[in-house]
Amino acid sequence: MLIPLIQNETLKIIRRKRFAVVIAILFVILALVTYSQYRRLREQQNRNWRAEIQQRVANFQNMMRRGRLNESYARGLRAEAGRLQFYLDHDIEPDKPTGPLFVRGFANASGWLLPLLVAMFGADIVSAENAEGTDKLLLTRPVRRWKILTAKLLTLFMFATLTLICGAVIAYAISSPFLPSGGWNAPTFVGFQLSGNSVSLDSVRQLPLWKDTMIAYGLQWYALLAVAAIALLLSVLFKSSAAAIGTMLASLIGGTILTRISPDWTAGKYLFVSALPLADYYTGQPPPYDGMSMLFCISLLGAWAIVATTISYAVFTRRDVFG
Amino acid sequence: MTELTPTLTASNLTKTIGHKTIVDSVSFELQQGEIFGFLGPNGAGKTTTIRMLVGLIRPTAGSVRICGYDIQQNFEDAMRCVGCIVENPDLYRFMTGRENLEHFARMLRVSNSEIERVADAVSLAHRLEQRVGTYSLGMRQRLGIAQALLGNPKLLILDEPANGLDPAGIREIRELLRRLAGEQQMSIFISSHLLAEIELTCDRVAIIHKGRILREGSVRDLISSRRDMELRVDDVPRASVIARERNLTFRTDGDRIWLAMEEADAPPLLSALAEAGVKIFHAQRRAQSLEEMFLEATGGETVD
Repeated sequence: MLIPLIQNETLKIIRRKRFAVVIAILFVILALVTYSQYRRLREQQNRNWRAEIQQRVANFQNMMRRGRLNESYARGLRAEAGRLQFYLDHDIEPDKPTGPLFVRGFANASGWLLPLLVAMFGADIVSAENAEGTDKLLLTRPVRRWKILTAKLLTLFMFATLTLICGAVIAYAISSPFLPSGGWNAPTFVGFQLSGNSVSLDSVRQLPLWKDTMIAYGLQWYALLAVAAIALLLSVLFKSSAAAIGTMLASLIGGTILTRISPDWTAGKYLFVSALPLADYYTGQPPPYDGMSMLFCISLLGAWAIVATTISYAVFTRRDVFG
Repeated sequence: MTELTPTLTASNLTKTIGHKTIVDSVSFELQQGEIFGFLGPNGAGKTTTIRMLVGLIRPTAGSVRICGYDIQQNFEDAMRCVGCIVENPDLYRFMTGRENLEHFARMLRVSNSEIERVADAVSLAHRLEQRVGTYSLGMRQRLGIAQALLGNPKLLILDEPANGLDPAGIREIRELLRRLAGEQQMSIFISSHLLAEIELTCDRVAIIHKGRILREGSVRDLISSRRDMELRVDDVPRASVIARERNLTFRTDGDRIWLAMEEADAPPLLSALAEAGVKIFHAQRRAQSLEEMFLEATGGETVD
């Protein structure tokens, strides 16, 4: 029953060339990052990675000792220094430029990049029909409005998923000619937790890289679905695609900046952007506010998604469609 | 003929926004095979009424039944009987004509052979593979009508279907609509500002003004309620004197003079004019046009 409608929505996203733009952006960004990794690999060939990492840890500690750092930034440094030290202690190179680690790293980067891309086609999906006047035809066919919105939401989920998968595939494909492509079983450590001024190692576990990568992508996928649901709400509320996309991008970027520059404003932990980089938090980056456990972040995103979807349906199925 | 359920029944349709009543207790019925014209100046509530007919706007009061189904309670059954264009024929410009028709065919769950049929009906088959963005307004109008014909609806609702079409195109669409009403007993609701077009196409007309229906009736009844004699003469002042002598009401414009009179009074008047030396180039009994009637009904407000 919903399949033909989803087919229609898919066709529209593809014909609007939205998804092609998303893929092109991913391609360009990943190509640039691969290039920088490749350069690092060539420079590092004769170097001692232990010395490099030790230098980095020492730098972080110096920065923290000098003080006057933004609290949220300092927490990040502290956590990263703790994580690197742990790898040093276990004699494992943490950030080797390899294909698999590059793919794994993209999961973290996608915490801020992919929501922007999903917003690009998500915030458009209802408002464009409104702006182009096609809603008058779409809503006068023998299909109830809730079915149309459901088809749009499912199509968005599908494309958000596809964006993440394409990102991972492009990352691997583009890096494999330049970076070593093996190492999916390399050991990685997860479960670093910042408690007070030190990094707690109690819950650190060792995982093979492929498993760690799956978990990071799974978390980021969940966050992207929440972004898609919020984008749908804005798309329903705004009549112009530009306004909807603009508001979505502003709340993503503005919200992130807000949570980073004002860690004292603790109510900020209830903003959905605070919880978006799930893969970062899973890797060991501390969330910007205290009391944001993984469970809290996942529930927060879920709550935002459910509330946004409920409002979307309530408004879309009831409103009068004027010109 | 047996009594049939009307294809479309609007009862006491009312839409109030804030304190403003945009549409005020509008009621009408369309029988099978009937073409109904809906006339009104801009802001009269025409489009709001159409939007209520197809479920885009929820009426404040009143109801719409299509083929016996209430559109609030049985939206899907009711809408299966309708094909419509509301305001402009806005289709997906970034897709081809065929992709647009396939899009709506999927929503109706009708087969793709329907697409060829409706495209042929509006002579658009040769442009189907091109993007709608490259179409002229006339082509989009045809595509809009083709889209409305998908699934063979019992009721067509067309907002300004003649918009953007050239005279030949208007004639072609008019013939198509008359054929659909005649052969397939389709009921057709048309709003238009082209009064001549409504006069030629429709069986029945309603005139809406400031949210209320002012007049409703068959086109023939409304038009034949008054007939004038139109004359073109070389000397209008002298003709006017003679008309006044015979107590006829008349009005003049350039070299023309219109007289309200019975047919039987025509020969004596023409003889009198001829005797007085007035040259008559043209004499014709003419029905009051819908436009004149419309202006009279709305108190002189222009259409459109």
